[in-house]
Amino acid sequence: MTSQAMDSTQRALQDNAPRRGLTRRDLLRMGPGAAAALAFGCGPQSPSSADSALDAGRITGAIVGASHRIGHRLRGSAFPEPQQTRDAGVVIVGAGIAGLSAAWKLARSGFRDFTVLELEPESGGNARWGENAVSAYPWGAHYLPTPTAESTAVRELVEEMGLVEGYGPNGEPIYDPRHLCHAPQERVFIDGRWIEGLSARDVAGSDGPAPGGEGEVLAAFEAQVRRYRDYRDAGGRRAFALPLAAGTTDPEILALDRISMREYLDRAGWASPRLRWYVDYCCRDDYGCTLDTTSAWAAWHYFCSRPADVEYLTWPEGNGRIVRHFLERMDGQVRTGMLVYRVRSAGDPSSGAAEARVSETGSEAGAAAGGVDVDVLDTRDETAIRYRARRCIYALPRFTAPRVIDGYLPAGIEAFTYSPWLVANLTVERLPAGAAWDNVLYDSPSLGYVVATHQDLRMTTGRSVLTWYLPLAAPSPETARAWMLQQDWRDLASLILADLGQAHPGIESTVTHVDVMLWGHAMIRPVPGFVWGEARRRAAAPYGPVRFAHSDMSGISLFEEAQYHGVRAAEEVMRELGHPFSSSL
Amino acid sequence: MDERPAASADGEAARTRVLLIAVFTIATCGLVYELLSGTIASYLLGDSVTQFSTVIGVYLFSMGVGSYLSRYFQRELIVRFIEIEILVGLVGGLSSPALFFAFSELGAFRVVLYGWVTATGVLVGLEIPFLIRILKDQFPLHDLVSKVLSLDYLGALAASLLFPLWLVPQVGLMRSSFVFGGLNVLVAVWTCHVFRDQHRRPRLTAQAYAALGVLVLGAVYSDDLVDWSERRLYDDPVVLSRSSPYQRIVLTRGEGGVRLFLDGNLQFSSLDEYRYHEALVHPGLASVAAPRRALVLGGGDGMAVREILKDERVREITLVDLDPSMTEIFRDHEAFAALNDYALRSPRVDAINADAFVWVESDTTRYDFIVVDFPDPRTYSLGKLYTTTFYRRLRERLNPGGVAALQSTSPLVSRQAFWSIVETIRAAGLHAVPYHAPVPSFGEWGYVLASEAPPSVPHAFPSGLRFLTPAIAATLFEFPADMAAVPVEVNHLNNQILVQYHAAGWERYVRGRR
Repeated sequence: MTSQAMDSTQRALQDNAPRRGLTRRDLLRMGPGAAAALAFGCGPQSPSSADSALDAGRITGAIVGASHRIGHRLRGSAFPEPQQTRDAGVVIVGAGIAGLSAAWKLARSGFRDFTVLELEPESGGNARWGENAVSAYPWGAHYLPTPTAESTAVRELVEEMGLVEGYGPNGEPIYDPRHLCHAPQERVFIDGRWIEGLSARDVAGSDGPAPGGEGEVLAAFEAQVRRYRDYRDAGGRRAFALPLAAGTTDPEILALDRISMREYLDRAGWASPRLRWYVDYCCRDDYGCTLDTTSAWAAWHYFCSRPADVEYLTWPEGNGRIVRHFLERMDGQVRTGMLVYRVRSAGDPSSGAAEARVSETGSEAGAAAGGVDVDVLDTRDETAIRYRARRCIYALPRFTAPRVIDGYLPAGIEAFTYSPWLVANLTVERLPAGAAWDNVLYDSPSLGYVVATHQDLRMTTGRSVLTWYLPLAAPSPETARAWMLQQDWRDLASLILADLGQAHPGIESTVTHVDVMLWGHAMIRPVPGFVWGEARRRAAAPYGPVRFAHSDMSGISLFEEAQYHGVRAAEEVMRELGHPFSSSL
Repeated sequence: MDERPAASADGEAARTRVLLIAVFTIATCGLVYELLSGTIASYLLGDSVTQFSTVIGVYLFSMGVGSYLSRYFQRELIVRFIEIEILVGLVGGLSSPALFFAFSELGAFRVVLYGWVTATGVLVGLEIPFLIRILKDQFPLHDLVSKVLSLDYLGALAASLLFPLWLVPQVGLMRSSFVFGGLNVLVAVWTCHVFRDQHRRPRLTAQAYAALGVLVLGAVYSDDLVDWSERRLYDDPVVLSRSSPYQRIVLTRGEGGVRLFLDGNLQFSSLDEYRYHEALVHPGLASVAAPRRALVLGGGDGMAVREILKDERVREITLVDLDPSMTEIFRDHEAFAALNDYALRSPRVDAINADAFVWVESDTTRYDFIVVDFPDPRTYSLGKLYTTTFYRRLRERLNPGGVAALQSTSPLVSRQAFWSIVETIRAAGLHAVPYHAPVPSFGEWGYVLASEAPPSVPHAFPSGLRFLTPAIAATLFEFPADMAAVPVEVNHLNNQILVQYHAAGWERYVRGRR
């Protein structure tokens, strides 16, 4: 009961009072696409209280989990010859969502003779997670949108995870509300204040009655979203589906892939800065790309592949919850710290390339292959093991394949490019006032932060973990990666605190710990021409006894795509090996 | 050391003057300590007549004991006098912090109060006999007694005027205590200097200065000992404040009785909380055919438990409150446990400190009667305890035929919020029967009965109620037009619409009152 709501109301009003970022404006001036400006030489210019907190050691932390040194051994190190050989039905290389989904489908179909090999000390790939005394927290992907009807495998998964309470009158799943993102979900810090919501209308419409025709631009944008959402081709397929393989191949839609989203906006004459920021933000959020480096097709896929009433399934550890579910169903078949350095056809090392050409039209050629050797280095004791398998599912990003798979060098492989990301988890003693689940900063190259304790049903003491995301979307992945590897923890922590300080002056006084993870090749980049281009089409083909599975085969780094390719590869393998299964696709 | 001849006549006169000023000063200090103890006891325990009478009685009696004991001190009277002054300064000067600390942290407040008053009284009682004996050779007896006692009573007059007019309103209880303790010790310091040829104890001077240092520090930092800024937020004197990891607990006591505030929001006033709690508990409890087992969620103040205990049919009550500080204050703290008739000490009560949401999800017991007494849904954290998800869990804890009674904010101030709670309970598959009661401290307050089957109308209540009768209860289920149902949305975890309804209603109300 409460009668004196006056105090709390006043506090709430104060919290919403206009507030300019007190920390370095130079940091926040860098608008969209200028992440590199942040990265290159725009560090702190005068000692701040954040810096003194870092220097005094009051805020602890480290750069964690970067195994790039191990991965980069593939660039030319000599590896020992395997001392022992093990037999396995199927070897899955990579325990990200694609690899684990392949394993999940195999296990679910009663095919238990498989091993998953993962380089990192933990499974999960982009869905990895961490945990400390305050909360579990994500290191990457932190939610799963409620699956559309086409995402049959995802629907199967969420049901198996016990997330579905029942079904509505039209057969649509009703989700356990504990796992749907609680309110308040999103807010944006813009013009020195927080606005609720993160839709085009929330952001672009926040400017009041716009003199520059913002309202018309917004209405035109929303109308286009509705058109693409409602689109059905002659076969009843949607313009943008999940997985995208279920969508239309109407050339008019696919033509969107040839131009960048910036070009699209320019041609449409949509000049509203707020709307352009919003679209750019979405591209950075989903693809780690800017308006210039995202194809219009990929951008529209983001806006139109899901219905307007989509909700988000989320957990403290993000999609780590799904990884945990996968791992619980494995029988110790996932081995971490294992660097796969060579994959080759067992019988004839040179036969692979020939078969690859044949197999482009189907999987028959693969069935004829005699088996595959997967050579792996146990990074804990530097011993090498050879797995002799009937099939290999290669579930790593494709750019690694030429260095690992003997003789594999398809034309156009260099078209597979990846955006680097920087993710930090900050432990705070006190959650910022009014925090939503996703808290976005308008004037920042970062995406803002997500609150790990948001789904907690308990009364909180205010302690929490904030996951801060920075896609290094410009100027190029190579320069961003090089910059990233030069930074030490102190510099990165200072930059992160300055960024958050825009919206939360003095936040450093509540931060106790900052861990940072560097993702060198976090997401496939759907640059113009990639999704519906030659390189991706070629990459769909198997290579001898090797089947591929990864979201980069779709050109967009989404859970649904990664899972689709994992399940698809598993089904292909079972079909070839004569193991019965019922398809999830 | 500089051996000086016996003091000259001039020196003697100066010393006498010092001692007579000392009489005035110590008289003022002595009465200030007495008034401080009486005032603090009245603030903390209420009933100022009793507090002042007992404090003055004990204090005067102790002074008598001190006067009597003075006969056992024979030698080096001036040294003894200086020692006494240092001790009085420390004991008296630390009386305010000691009493506030004892009240909020120790629980056994009266023991500390009367112990402290006794110690102060005995020490003060020694002062005047000592001074008379020290001065006995300077004046004839009739002159001496006249001088000393008149100065003594003059000091008392000064104290009795200073205390209400300046000390309490301007200086504050905490700082006054340190300041007058310091004055007492200043007398010791001055005496030390003037009589240094008689005592020749540099350590004594050092002790006097050390004591002075302590009290000066206390006076300087007394604002830190008492958060005055917080105290200004409340109409009545704050008698206990505590920060737990979850909330700020503040209890005040004034003419309107004891009030409990959590994070600045009033939870009850002892003046009329019986109305709130009788209305919360008895309509629901009386409608259960055979209530044996009851659960109280929230309500760590024990008032709802007190009401349930009035129903002899209930054998076991489980109280689940998040905050151990709450249950500790209302179980172990004499002054506050009395408010709930020591309900939390009853063998029928099991008090557990746990998060209510976690509790209803993990508990396997079913209850015949459940009271849900959470703070209003003014934050998203609290809002989660008013969702369909929570009510479904609650439903699983109800026995067939069981009833839950839920506090549901004010249907007058926040009409949408109240009816949203009603609709949310219905959406969770329960029957929801709304009712309301007038509680002057809060205004018109709302409740909901929730059960699997429609609850029966209560015909009889336990004896000893001050507000509820079957006739009055019947009227509580009628809603006048200004509180009648409005179309509202159901509160889910993923919309938390209730927090917005609640904020809108209360914001309008607060604006309207300005």
